[in-house]
Amino acid sequence: MNSGHIHLLLNHIPTIGFGIGFALFVIALLLKQADLRHACFVILFLTAALTIPAYVSGNDAREALKETPGISDPLMQLHESAALIALVFMEMTGFFSWIGLWIWGRPSRFARLNVVLVLVFGALALVLMSRAAYVGGAIRHPETESAKFIPLNPDVPTLARTWGAFTQDQSWVWPAAETIHFIGLCLLFGVVLIYNLRMLGVGKTVLPFETLRQLLPLGMLGFVLNLITGMMFFVATPEQYTGFLFFLKMSLVVAGAIQLLYFMLRNKDDAGIWTKLIAASGIVIWIAVVFCGHMLPWLGNSF
Amino acid sequence: MDFLLKIEESGFSQWVREADSLFAFPGILLLHTIGMGLVVGINAMFDLRVLGFAPSVRLRAIEKFFPVMWLGFWINAVTGAILLGAFATKMTHNPDFYVKLAFIALAVINVKILKRQVFFPDETGTSAKARVLAVTSLLFWLGAITCGRLLAYVGRNAL
Repeated sequence: MNSGHIHLLLNHIPTIGFGIGFALFVIALLLKQADLRHACFVILFLTAALTIPAYVSGNDAREALKETPGISDPLMQLHESAALIALVFMEMTGFFSWIGLWIWGRPSRFARLNVVLVLVFGALALVLMSRAAYVGGAIRHPETESAKFIPLNPDVPTLARTWGAFTQDQSWVWPAAETIHFIGLCLLFGVVLIYNLRMLGVGKTVLPFETLRQLLPLGMLGFVLNLITGMMFFVATPEQYTGFLFFLKMSLVVAGAIQLLYFMLRNKDDAGIWTKLIAASGIVIWIAVVFCGHMLPWLGNSF
Repeated sequence: MDFLLKIEESGFSQWVREADSLFAFPGILLLHTIGMGLVVGINAMFDLRVLGFAPSVRLRAIEKFFPVMWLGFWINAVTGAILLGAFATKMTHNPDFYVKLAFIALAVINVKILKRQVFFPDETGTSAKARVLAVTSLLFWLGAITCGRLLAYVGRNAL
C-alpha cells in the first residue's frame, strides 16, 4: 500500500460520504426528525475533519504520478484548485455543524439560522466537491472520457498556485502566518488542557461539567486560525508536506476531532477509567500534533 | 564577549547546536513550543474569561490550572536558557531578542497584578481595571510570540 491508495480511499468520504450525510440532513429537516438532524451534524463534522487528510494525501498522489507518461500535470493542478475551493466550503459546513452540536438542547436564537447556514454551505460544498471529483477522475480514468470536456489553459496560474504565490512572494506573509499559527496553538492548548485535565479530576469542585462546554468555542477558534494558516503553508510549498509525518499530523487532527466529539456527545460527568483514558488521550493527541509539525524539517521532507 | 564565546563554545552548547540527535536542538525547541502552549494557553483563557467569554466558568476554576501555566513558564525558562547559551553571540546582538524578553517580563508582572486585582479582596473579575489588564496581558503575549517567531527572520545573523 502506498500514499496513492490512501488518497483513493479517503477521497470518497468528501464526495459519496458527504453526499449521504447531506441527503440525510435534508430528510431530517423535511420530516422534522430532531434525532436524525443531530446525527447528521455529527456525520458532517466528521466528514469535514476527514476531508483534511483526503486533501493533503492528494499531494502525495501527485508526487507519485508526476513522472508517469500520459498523466497531465495541468489537469492535476486544476484538480488541486477545484479541491481547494471545495475544501473551504466543506470546512465551513463542518464548522457550522459543530456549532449545531454545541448549541444542541439549549435555547438559542441562532439555531434556525445555523441550520440554514449548514444547508447553504453544504449544498455548495457538494457541488464543488463533485466538480473536484470530476476533474480528479479525469486524471487517471480514460474510460470516462471526461478529460475531453475540461478546458485546460496551462499558462494561467490556478487558484491554488495564485494563493501559494501570495504566501511565498510577499516577505511578510509567511512569518505572519507562522505567528498566527502559534497563537492558534496557544488557544487550542489552553482549552484542551483545561477541558481534559478537568475530566481527569483537576478543579472538579470549582468547575462543574455543565460550564466546561463554554470554553470550547475558544479552542475551535484556535483550530480555525491554524487550519487557515496551515493551508497557506501547504498551498505555497506542497512539496514540503509529502510523506508519512505530515499525513500522521493530519490523521491526528481527525483523532482530535473524534476525541472532542466523545465528550460533547456523551455529555456526562464521571470519574471512570474510560473517561480518564480518553481525557488523557486528548492531551497526548494535540501534543503529538505539535510534535509532527515541529519535526517536519528533521524527520519529514521540509527544509 | 569572551564570556559569551566561552558559553557558546562549551561542549554542551556545541552538542545542542550540532548534534545529529532529536534530543538536541529539535527536541529542545519542541519543548519550548509546548511550554509556550501551556503558559500562553492558560493565561489567555484567564484573560478571555475576565473579558467576558465563558461567563459560567468561575475565575477561581481557571486559577486551579495556574500550576500548569507556571510549569510551562519554567520549561521555557530552562529551554530558553539552553538555546540562548547555544546561540549566545547571535542572540545578544539581536535587538529583537531583548524586545521579546521585555514582553515576557511585562506579561509575567501583568498576570501577578491581574490575579491580585481579580481575587483581592474577593472574586470580582469584571472591574474596568481588570479588563484593561486582561487586554494588556493578551497584547504582551502576542508581542512575545511575534518577537520569538521573528528571531528566525530579523537581525544581521538571523537564527
